[in-house]
Amino acid sequence: MLVRIVMELEDVPGQLLKALEPISRFGGNIQSIMHQRERKTPLGRVPVMLVFEVGERARLNRILAALRARGVRITQLGEREGAVRATALLIGHIIHTDIRDTIERLNALKGARVSDLSLAMGEPGQESAARMTITADDERRVNLALSNLQRIADRKKLLMITSLEAG
Amino acid sequence: MRVVLVGFGNLGRGLSRVLIQKASFLRKSHGLIPRVVAAVDEFGAVVDEKGLNLTRLLKVTKKAGTVAAYKGGKRGKLAHRVIEGVGADVVYELTPTNIKTGEPGLTHIKRAMRAGKHVITSNKGPLVVAFRELDSLARRCGVEFRYSASVGGAVPVVGLAKELLAGNEIREIRGVLNGTTNYILTRMSTEGAPFEVVLREAQELGVAEKDPTLDIEGIDTACKITILANSLLGMNARLGDVKIAGITRVQPEAIRLAREAGHTIKLIGVAKHGLLEVGPKLVPLGHPLAVSGTLNAVTFELDLAREISITGFGAGPKETSSSLLGDLIDIHRTLGG
Repeated sequence: MLVRIVMELEDVPGQLLKALEPISRFGGNIQSIMHQRERKTPLGRVPVMLVFEVGERARLNRILAALRARGVRITQLGEREGAVRATALLIGHIIHTDIRDTIERLNALKGARVSDLSLAMGEPGQESAARMTITADDERRVNLALSNLQRIADRKKLLMITSLEAG
Repeated sequence: MRVVLVGFGNLGRGLSRVLIQKASFLRKSHGLIPRVVAAVDEFGAVVDEKGLNLTRLLKVTKKAGTVAAYKGGKRGKLAHRVIEGVGADVVYELTPTNIKTGEPGLTHIKRAMRAGKHVITSNKGPLVVAFRELDSLARRCGVEFRYSASVGGAVPVVGLAKELLAGNEIREIRGVLNGTTNYILTRMSTEGAPFEVVLREAQELGVAEKDPTLDIEGIDTACKITILANSLLGMNARLGDVKIAGITRVQPEAIRLAREAGHTIKLIGVAKHGLLEVGPKLVPLGHPLAVSGTLNAVTFELDLAREISITGFGAGPKETSSSLLGDLIDIHRTLGG
């Protein structure tokens, strides 16, 4: 998941390094750092916005605990979960090929899930259509989820229609 | 410029009408005086080195069903003899497409080139079966080879890429390249009528052929993708390299679901290194490829220009004549005319 935090650091040398160290130690991948020096607090502290990617919730908790232990004040914490979406259509015997199983298989992928599903049932014996929205933490996971869905669709003889811009 | 017409169906007749209509324009604007010295169809041929009267040729053919009925015409399989024997500068190869063997067009084109004649064709068959071979044969024989009309009908897909965008590296070509399927998808979207009903309507209107397999199964689009991959991306692709899905499983309900999410469904051909593909895709409403009716549209992804899209009529004898005539003028210019 992508995590965005704003923390306040004392305006003395070495503070930023102190704050970054636990993030990389617990496997966080820093994507951006923004010093907001112009928004110094009345006590003279500098807000710093950090965006980093981290694999799982437990690691994030460890990072946050380590930061607090070092006296870093965290003023904002937001998960940017579900930052990327993709839409796909499925055509075929969607119910008979166990839609629940299809969704569960997709949800098994960490950081991606089926967030919306619309069904148009065909006449009895005819094929149905489904629109699926996949929400994922990042581009890589959404593409992974789409290729998983393609494999499932191939196996279940469903026609999968993806966006022109996908992959 | 002496011209031979091989194939006198819809396209051959359409081109003839345009040559009549545009005679003075061609002379004044391009200094080009095309003289049709022979016409061939599957039943016979007619030759007149002084130039056939195209108005009379059209009239006679309409009545008798073959160019052989023109004064001095002969019946029989005469294509090879005419292509090789008649003194001409350009051979138009306009016979029907056969995507398995490329014939009879393939042999016609090879014989014309070996006889030192420039070739213009609309025929996808030879291009799909033997693009590289024909391309290098043309070079070896020192003749020009043009095939603008084979992809996109009137839409100058090949010319745009080869001439005006020549400074770019083409990263990807995507397109709606089949008017029949686009018509069917459009009607399903606007009318909510089932696929089979819309297909029948398209057949009655002459938009779809009696046997629509090549169109609706995506094979026609795949042929065009193969041609574009070979001619514009420098690949050595075969039809079998294209991953193909058609539109036969797409019903109005699926299009409705797509629309609710801001998309429509189009049959899209994709050509880039490592991926040749044809299949239905979700296209955002308002996207340059979200064209309706029988229109064709192509988007090039380029290193310098980024994205260029063109759209226009992909079929019809008059529209396709735009490309066929453009090729003739282009050869005329290339040769310093």
